[in-house]
Amino acid sequence: MNPIAPIFYTEEYKDATDYFRGIVKSGETSSRVLELTEHIIRMNPAHYSAWQYRYKTLLALHSPLDEELRLMDALAIQFLKTYQVWHHRRLLLTALNSVPAAEAELAFIRRAVAVDTKNYYTPGRTDKELLEADVRNNSAWHHRFFVVFQSGVRKGDEDRELVLRRELAFTKEKIALAPNNPSAWNYLRGILEYTKTPFSTITTFVEPYASTSRSSTAEQEIVIDLENPYLRKEGGASTMKAVEIWRSLANVHDTVRKKYWEHRIKDALSSIQK
Amino acid sequence: MTERHLRSTPTDGYATPTSHIQAATEQILRSHLPSASEANQGPVLQKNIHLQYLLRNLVQGFPERYTSQDASQPWLIFWTLQGFSVLGVGLDDQTKKRAIETLLALQHPEGGFGGGPGQAAHLLPTYAAVCALAIVGRPGEGGGWEVIDRQKMYKFFMSLKQQDGSFLVMHHGEVDMRGIYCLITVATMLNMLTPELLAGVPEFIASCQTYEGGFGNASFPGWVFEEDDPERDGSSTDSFNPSSPRPPLGEAHGGYTFCATATWVLLQPYLRLYYPSSAPAINRSALLRWLTQMQGIPAEIGGFRGRTNKLVDGCYSWWVGGCVVLAETLLGIGLGGDRRPEERGKGEEHAGEDGWDDVDDSLFDRRALQEYILYAGQHPAGGLRDKPPKPSDSYHTLYCLSGLSAAQHRVIPHDARRAEVLASWRGDIAKEKKCAGLAAPSGDGEILENLRREIFLDTLSWSEEEGTVKYVGGSGNRVNATHPLFNLTVTHSEAIMAYFYGQTLPVRKPHHAASTPPTGK
Ligand SMILES: [Zn+2]
Repeated sequence: MNPIAPIFYTEEYKDATDYFRGIVKSGETSSRVLELTEHIIRMNPAHYSAWQYRYKTLLALHSPLDEELRLMDALAIQFLKTYQVWHHRRLLLTALNSVPAAEAELAFIRRAVAVDTKNYYTPGRTDKELLEADVRNNSAWHHRFFVVFQSGVRKGDEDRELVLRRELAFTKEKIALAPNNPSAWNYLRGILEYTKTPFSTITTFVEPYASTSRSSTAEQEIVIDLENPYLRKEGGASTMKAVEIWRSLANVHDTVRKKYWEHRIKDALSSIQK
Repeated sequence: MTERHLRSTPTDGYATPTSHIQAATEQILRSHLPSASEANQGPVLQKNIHLQYLLRNLVQGFPERYTSQDASQPWLIFWTLQGFSVLGVGLDDQTKKRAIETLLALQHPEGGFGGGPGQAAHLLPTYAAVCALAIVGRPGEGGGWEVIDRQKMYKFFMSLKQQDGSFLVMHHGEVDMRGIYCLITVATMLNMLTPELLAGVPEFIASCQTYEGGFGNASFPGWVFEEDDPERDGSSTDSFNPSSPRPPLGEAHGGYTFCATATWVLLQPYLRLYYPSSAPAINRSALLRWLTQMQGIPAEIGGFRGRTNKLVDGCYSWWVGGCVVLAETLLGIGLGGDRRPEERGKGEEHAGEDGWDDVDDSLFDRRALQEYILYAGQHPAGGLRDKPPKPSDSYHTLYCLSGLSAAQHRVIPHDARRAEVLASWRGDIAKEKKCAGLAAPSGDGEILENLRREIFLDTLSWSEEEGTVKYVGGSGNRVNATHPLFNLTVTHSEAIMAYFYGQTLPVRKPHHAASTPPTGK
């Protein structure tokens, strides 16, 4: 066969993967397989079949999985951005099912994160630290939402009213710091919707940002979304105000989203008429 | 463009790493805008050098640095073949034959396709291989289609099914929204859908919508969509604690949002038929808002970003730009019914001119997106890219071209086409052609027959809306329309589905021919 779109591998890679194919065919599980799959993974950590076959072989050989975890430490640092490395660790930990191993893993991740100098969200740092370093880090905002609202109630967070007030205060403070930050506005809208808090409760905070006269900061995300059912029920005046803001966005401040804002205007006006 | 239009993203006097990289990017993008004198000529899609780029990849192959894609070979093939399709270039029979042979060598003996010869079956390469076969294959011996082992593939799919309705991407793999899109798309195209396969999928997808409105990947929050994105953070919040619940939601992300939304559209017949009441729901208006929020401002030349506060990137032209029409469809916006007939056809006359009238209902800026792709997305040496000064690659070449297509053509569900297809529907043949071995425990009753018909009609009623084409830089820049759910041309989508459902599709009348050749205006 004369395949289309071939990749020009190095001889070393080609030999290793040819050998791997032979092993898969024969179904061999041996320490030789572990050496080979490690070799392939080091050359191409995205080779998911090598990872899968390695895992099956470890189980078949009853290999000590904590040893495998330590072997993977170097690989994880080297291929921090390759999810297969982390998935493999996760499989090992699930199979190990041991508390000390999980604790060691947590410590490892902290070290791994320390070498990662870039601005990623990584599990070792808290979202608060990350947001202090960069208030525009959307992954950190997302993680905060998950931790506060979607992963069970933490000790000390039993009073949900208090949690909501704390989150509102935190978010408003971050918005005041840098108003043109869609991550923070999305978070604000997110917590209001999640806790079914009427948007009208934050009108006084929002209004200065949503004013049509403040063209310098009237970036699209600045405007608080007035589509929420609570505000609309309050009557036509607030809808007309929203329409006025949307018009200025559509025609002046956010022309890229002109069609979207016009759709919102049409939608809001037709809902009044109903 | 005036000074005001190119206002930078405000930093509020409070710079952070994100605003620094944003400002640097805007500066580079600005330098790719034409001067006032050049602007009059309009941007040109350099079709020839992009074709040469694709041809080089197809015939000569990929250099050594593509070894990282060794487990994604069907993707390299799909990106390349579909690139030719979008550019309107057909392949000769010999190349098609070689492509079919190359792809079939990736079929796993136990069902599904692997990323390379002898590699394990995996949902992502399965999708890429089937889509590539839709392009080069045909019915009959040597055409590739009849040797796709659907029975084993179905078993493989079911072996990946999780209790929550989701699927692993492979044995010992993880759950991934992309895998779910790949599986549902393939099962739709190949007439393999059953209630058993679909059970719990809508609930799972609905649970992945985040507070921002887009969708995340449920399993590895930090992991982004593409293989070699420098922004990619590969770690997992929960990898250190196997007993912790999987985070229900990952950060809203363009790639996962496309996959979730397209799957949601494909699931509509199932939702209509199998949930007579209280069907799971997604927040469609939040989805639409998030998608439109991702389009960059004029200083970013109107490209799309994949996550809030991240940089614009050409591939999101398709994943996010191409997803807007799916959200519109779910909301019933602009499906043509409320437009006055005299407005139809207006766009055609104005195509390529300055200051055209917006006669279509598309809710993103189609002109701006085309400008991003044409001014910033093209690499001078051929192929398309994330953004300057990056090199082009196979992945970005296709998704920039597909995004350009989505910005030029408005392809929407079309009632008249649906009626035509329905009139010719043969349920008895479709039942016979269903994947053998799908004698599901639920039986093959009337409801499943209806599901099969509705899937076929829903999927193949998508057509280009008359009079809404827009070609920035003139019709010489035209690329083919592509099916918003599959990223295959409508012609290829129809051919492979007609084969696997045993249907003969009525010829498209000219007014909704979705892939007519360029007019050469
Ligand atoms: Zn990209």
